Amino acid sequence: MKKTGDHIHTNTGETIDRKKFLWYLLGVPAMVSGLGGLSCNRQKRITGKFVGNSSTIGHMLRDTSQIPAPSKEIKTQVLIVGGGIAGLSAKRWLRKNSKLDVLLIEMAEDVGGNSAYGENNVSAYPWGAHYLPIPSLHNIELIDFLHEHNIIIGFDTKGLPIYNEYYLCHDPEERLNINGHWQEGIIPQLGVPDEDKKQIKRFLTEMDVYRSALGSDGKDAFAIPLDNSTCDEKYRALDSTSFKQYLTENGYTSTYLLWYLEYCCKDDYGCNIAGTSAWAGIHYFAGRKGKAANADPSAILSWPEGNGFLVKQFKKEDNAGIMSSHLVYKLEKDEKQVTAYVYDAAKKESITIVAEKIIMATPQYVNKKILADVAPDRSVDTFDYAPWIIANITINGMPAQRGLALCWDNVVYDAASVGYVNANHQNITTNSKKVLTFYLPYTSDTPKTERNKLYAASYEQLQDKILEELNYAHPGIRQYIEHMDIRMWGHGMIAPVPGLIWGTQRHLAKNNIDNKIFFAHSDLSGISIFEEAFYQGIKAANEIMGT
Amino acid sequence: MDKSTTNDSIAARPLQVLLLFSVFVIATCGLIYELIAGTLASYLLGDSVTQFSTIIGAYLFSMGIGSWLSKFIDGDLLKWFIRIEVLVGIIGGISSCLLFILFEYAVSFRIILYTLVGITGILVGLEIPLLMRILQGRLQFKELVSQVFTYDYIGALLASVIFPLVLVPYLGLIRTSIFFGLLNIGVALFVLYRFPETKRYRTTFTSGIVFFIMLLLGGFVFANRIMTYTETIAFQDKVIYSKSTQYQRIVLTRNNHELRLFLNGNLQFSSSDEYRYHEALIHPGMQALHNAKDILVLGGGDGLAARELLKYPSIRSVTLVDLDKGMTALFKENEILTELNKRSLLDPKVTVINTDAFSWIRDNRKEYDAIFIDFPDPSNYSVGKLYTNSFYAEVYRSLKQDGFAVVQSTSPYMARRSYWCINHTIESVGFLTIPYHAYVPSFGEWGYTLCSKNYTWKNTGQLPAGLRYMNKATMENMLYFSPDMADVPTEINKLNNQVLVHYFEEDWGPYTH
Ligand SMILES: Cc1cc2nc3c(=O)[nH]c(=O)nc-3n(C[C@H](O)[C@H](O)[C@H](O)COP(=O)(O)OP(=O)(O)OC[C@H]3O[C@@H](n4cnc5c(N)ncnc54)[C@H](O)[C@@H]3O)c2cc1C
Repeated sequence: MKKTGDHIHTNTGETIDRKKFLWYLLGVPAMVSGLGGLSCNRQKRITGKFVGNSSTIGHMLRDTSQIPAPSKEIKTQVLIVGGGIAGLSAKRWLRKNSKLDVLLIEMAEDVGGNSAYGENNVSAYPWGAHYLPIPSLHNIELIDFLHEHNIIIGFDTKGLPIYNEYYLCHDPEERLNINGHWQEGIIPQLGVPDEDKKQIKRFLTEMDVYRSALGSDGKDAFAIPLDNSTCDEKYRALDSTSFKQYLTENGYTSTYLLWYLEYCCKDDYGCNIAGTSAWAGIHYFAGRKGKAANADPSAILSWPEGNGFLVKQFKKEDNAGIMSSHLVYKLEKDEKQVTAYVYDAAKKESITIVAEKIIMATPQYVNKKILADVAPDRSVDTFDYAPWIIANITINGMPAQRGLALCWDNVVYDAASVGYVNANHQNITTNSKKVLTFYLPYTSDTPKTERNKLYAASYEQLQDKILEELNYAHPGIRQYIEHMDIRMWGHGMIAPVPGLIWGTQRHLAKNNIDNKIFFAHSDLSGISIFEEAFYQGIKAANEIMGT
Repeated sequence: MDKSTTNDSIAARPLQVLLLFSVFVIATCGLIYELIAGTLASYLLGDSVTQFSTIIGAYLFSMGIGSWLSKFIDGDLLKWFIRIEVLVGIIGGISSCLLFILFEYAVSFRIILYTLVGITGILVGLEIPLLMRILQGRLQFKELVSQVFTYDYIGALLASVIFPLVLVPYLGLIRTSIFFGLLNIGVALFVLYRFPETKRYRTTFTSGIVFFIMLLLGGFVFANRIMTYTETIAFQDKVIYSKSTQYQRIVLTRNNHELRLFLNGNLQFSSSDEYRYHEALIHPGMQALHNAKDILVLGGGDGLAARELLKYPSIRSVTLVDLDKGMTALFKENEILTELNKRSLLDPKVTVINTDAFSWIRDNRKEYDAIFIDFPDPSNYSVGKLYTNSFYAEVYRSLKQDGFAVVQSTSPYMARRSYWCINHTIESVGFLTIPYHAYVPSFGEWGYTLCSKNYTWKNTGQLPAGLRYMNKATMENMLYFSPDMADVPTEINKLNNQVLVHYFEEDWGPYTH
């Protein structure tokens, strides 16, 4: 519109007037169709709100002076702080392998942490983690867990796990909106020049080599849990450069390939390729070595509620000894015991919990505050966390589209978000209404700057931002949207910045304090995935039982 | 308006106001035609963004041409203006009607579409410049520009607001375009009668205008007929019923000797030979069972399979699970259809459950004597799920040890791989299968799969009286597969590969394109 205005001459006289008319005439319908669009937009307000109170409770850690003094004391042998996957896994392991008396404290209303989920009358849906790749056969503990919960239903004659096919991601799995069309798979194909395709192929072949590579000690170059990876410097050195630098050095210049890798880093780490270490970038491709009797090695497991399904399995096993809506805000330690100061957000009062041993299944930025008195020197500055927003969007249909039909994962080329997952996908019921779980990491600046941007945004602003993105690949989708809830994760995922994974800080942060305070959180692995959280929990539990 | 004054300069004002009101009407009409063309194009051709943006572009460009052409028009501007108004009215008015009808016939529908858009655009582009020249002497220049464009913009705004909110939902596309065509012609009439200069040709023009008005009014009244007609063209025969339910569009057509049911444009049955299909679905399984009591039908919302089942007096209950309530309600209520299914869905033995068959059977804890599965063909992923090993495992669990299940399995001739893929998938969950097929003229060679937990099937059972297709010999014939339909290796259809949907697409490709 502005452009049109610039062209209007201001002279007077017959001929010019005609031109003027013409321009106006061209402008009128254009502007009106704009207005028409606006009037449609204003047609109805999409209801929704911010969900998840845990960050507000969490922020109480910044200033604990408002918290009332403790009025009661509880005793337990082992206290676990944090009911994410790591905390739940530690609790499970202790219950299975010891007789210790265990209590778990979670600040949110329910356990789950980054694997939390929600549910409405259309579907259950994830608020964070939404899938688990089938694990490698070496990950015995995880395989056992999956078998116990009927996710693995048995083993074939070769010993390969047979997965429950309701839980393996159904076909069609992934699609990418590129050049106005939905193609199958997320690696760009449609309209991609041969030169780029060659580079993509070269890259994937190189990753295959890394996947089967072994270090000089005979261990996998890239393993999950990543602590089982080789010590071989040849591979570990990759952690000191950025993925971006690695790609440049190896001649990867294709914009399509780089977009794809940027997408991968955003999707798994919430980082851009410059902010991800080369080791972590390669690990995304080379770490997964799953095998199954009835699925491809690249198969993944997913549920409508995402990894919330796995949280439910932990709870099904053992729901006792969990105190939710309780925030630990301070620790004290003497020779015999540790005392946790706990704020009960429901009753708005405080208690103390005295334990022989404690597992901090909480992220290091939280530990830094809680342990300020006990371990003031514990340094965790390289631990930074990518901010995310997740929206769960209830729709009652979708505009017509070109190419492959709605998949489980739906990604748009060159968009800020990493796309959306159809939460109903794993639901075998046919339903014209659906819940789409939309994932948007904030990656354009440093996590801290991005986090502040995120906290400053209102619900309406975020809703507009999400609608704008959705509308790009689905023009006219707004009229199908019934509801949209949004959740912010200020500290969503640990960012595997260069130097974190094989640097000294992560190494030191894992160490227990006086055999009394132990640590278990996925951030101690340097990458935020279910398997690592599960592993960290078991590791801390074993340490406790060993002492 | 101030009517009490007789002052000359003010006396001219009502006329101007009315002329400016015409600008408003013209602007509204112009935008409406553009919106109609865009909507229709996205409706008929799909991909609304492309359609809308190319239509708007073409339309604007044509308007540009029209405006440019306006400088070549000289002489009696009023006469020109009236002519153009009438033309816009008639062409814009019948545009949506024309497009609907031509869509079915035209080899290159796009050429027609863009020609129409181009012509309307050019005519609309001529309107305002001409009108401005007419008004030129009557108003001060800055007044003229400001007023004309004010009304132009307001008219356009009105159009863009009422089009999606009022016109499309209440009038529909055909009536909307006719209505605005009438408005354009109304403007022509108004100019014709308010300007003394037009006296010379008033009568000739009036008769033409009245003719066009009658034409448009006729279209307005018969819009529904026209709509049905266009759908009828898509369906060859007369459409006697059509309804969109939550899940599908149901269309029922009839000609002199048969009734056909289409779901989303796919033929489900023809009354002339559906008995073959349904007898073949039900009786080979049923006759082999003695004293079958509890039967499960999955799909089959037309009640035709249930009709066949009710011919067995031993049956105590038929549980019929069909997703679409709209479908089962239709087959319970519509007289022509209840005559066809012998009111089976209203029978006290029959319980209709409207829910997704997969989730229903997953939760089912009862075992049935026989299970009949009559789903639409696996042409998309949501139906494809109902042909997976996971689904058949639930069927296996829901079937008594000595019971039978029968699965409609698409055509072994036209979709050979699909047919055998279904067969292999069923076998993969532990069923023993007996493949068979029947010839149903309106479908072609059609396939079924009989499933059992042990080979006890025989064709020696008692068939109900009065069957028209099925007897012992037919049953024997059905078991034989000629070499062009014989078994081929396939993968197993699973939730996580949905190979059947791909096979099906490839198999039917040659027949549908
Ligand atoms: C948006 C998003 C998407 C993801 N998607 C995936 C995915 O698809 N697959 C995958 O494998 N992983 C995914 N992840 C990674 C996910 O973080 C891990 O899978 C796993 O859930 C991490 O578990 P955790 O126990 O290590 O950490 P958390 O989930 O962070 O658990 C920490 C727990 O401690 C609680 N807590 C914190 N402070 C206190 C306190 N002071 N007192 C009491 N309790 C406290 C928190 O409320 C939380 O419940 C995703 C993460 C995010 C943010």
